[in-house]
Amino acid sequence: MAPTLRIDPRDARPIWRQIEENVQHLVARGALPPGASVPSVRDLARELQVNPATVSKAYQRLTDAGVLSVRRGEGTFVSDTPPPVSDSRRNGRLQEEATRYASLAVTLGASREEALATLDAAWSGLTNGGAGSESSELEGEEA
Amino acid sequence: MNPIVLEGLTVRYGDRLALDNVSFAVPEGSVYALLGRNGAGKSSLIRCLLGEQRPASGRALLLDRNVWTERALALEEVGVVSEEPDAPPAMTARQLSRFCSRLYRTWDAAGLEARLRRFGVSATTPFGKLSKGQKGQVSLALALASSPRLLVLDDPTLGLDAVARKAVFEELIGELADRGITVFITTHDLAGVERIADRVGVLRAGRLVLDEEMETLKTRFRRVSFPRSQAAGAARLEALAPVAVAARGWEVEAVVSNYDEESFSASRLGGEDGEDPEVSVLTLEEIFIALTGEVQEVKA
Repeated sequence: MAPTLRIDPRDARPIWRQIEENVQHLVARGALPPGASVPSVRDLARELQVNPATVSKAYQRLTDAGVLSVRRGEGTFVSDTPPPVSDSRRNGRLQEEATRYASLAVTLGASREEALATLDAAWSGLTNGGAGSESSELEGEEA
Repeated sequence: MNPIVLEGLTVRYGDRLALDNVSFAVPEGSVYALLGRNGAGKSSLIRCLLGEQRPASGRALLLDRNVWTERALALEEVGVVSEEPDAPPAMTARQLSRFCSRLYRTWDAAGLEARLRRFGVSATTPFGKLSKGQKGQVSLALALASSPRLLVLDDPTLGLDAVARKAVFEELIGELADRGITVFITTHDLAGVERIADRVGVLRAGRLVLDEEMETLKTRFRRVSFPRSQAAGAARLEALAPVAVAARGWEVEAVVSNYDEESFSASRLGGEDGEDPEVSVLTLEEIFIALTGEVQEVKA
């Protein structure tokens, strides 16, 4: 089974882009290694409870970008040499999530030091035996 | 060809206008979700769509046929799950399957039984002894057994718990993946349909107030929250031309329907005296409430 992908209705990105970028990150991080098989469009759509056309669009774009490759009759796999995630997109995403976390910390009245220490602790928690899934992304909290 | 086309559909009950000149089309292979509060006109629209009600004016086309004048032909390749699934109470799902199989050119009895197993509904229990949710599931399994090109689902998850709802959506997703059917669905399960529908229509007091792709809908709606205490808040609120405004605790929340990142960041909504307001994404349910809920007057 592939590492967990999650869809967030409060994410400003359309679902197909969430899938596309999450797969890209899983591949870039090595959670989905070269040659690994990914779920079929049908299976992933059922798992995420989304329209298969949405998954199909994400897979098509990932295939066009050389991240995934389709072997006729066998299924879809991570390419043997997937291209790295583009820096600007990666940095943009990192920045976006950092801003969410920072504003949450400010709202809660945390100090800069406290916020950084908490991030650091969360990081350690992930790298020591954490499941290492994309679901560790910070979630914005509702006011 | 658009499997469903509604042209100026109008329905009157005495003096009351239940549907007021409603027109829209459902593109082939799409999942179209029709939303509306109770009494908004969904049931009248479905009745017209299934040829059960004659519109005062306008017409409904199913698979290119006028459903009022050619009902049998128009519905030949349409699977229907109605809000109140009905069948002879003594008949089991298996008997219903055998009965219905004679009415269609193709009938997948094995697939139907497999679906019932996935739903956890017995094929040998009389229909009258099933719960409302189970009746809906039997009805969906029957509707899919004829391999329809178009599915019309009137609140198919009503009365189902979370697990059973998921099972219903999984069957729909499987059909979409395998056969590329077109789905027209009304539902109160906005969180579930948000992930599946690619087009949304909203009825309000008989009028279609929205007919749009889910993706653009999600892109243009945002919630903007200001602290209540912020001076000049009222003027700023007005400038946003919000579709809904509500007071929540010490914040004023405005829902805007014309959001675009550039103009919103360029105008620096926060002004000079305070922080920028918080801008957040709305779920389909929140957009629906903003469009159809009661209007609240708020002093900023």
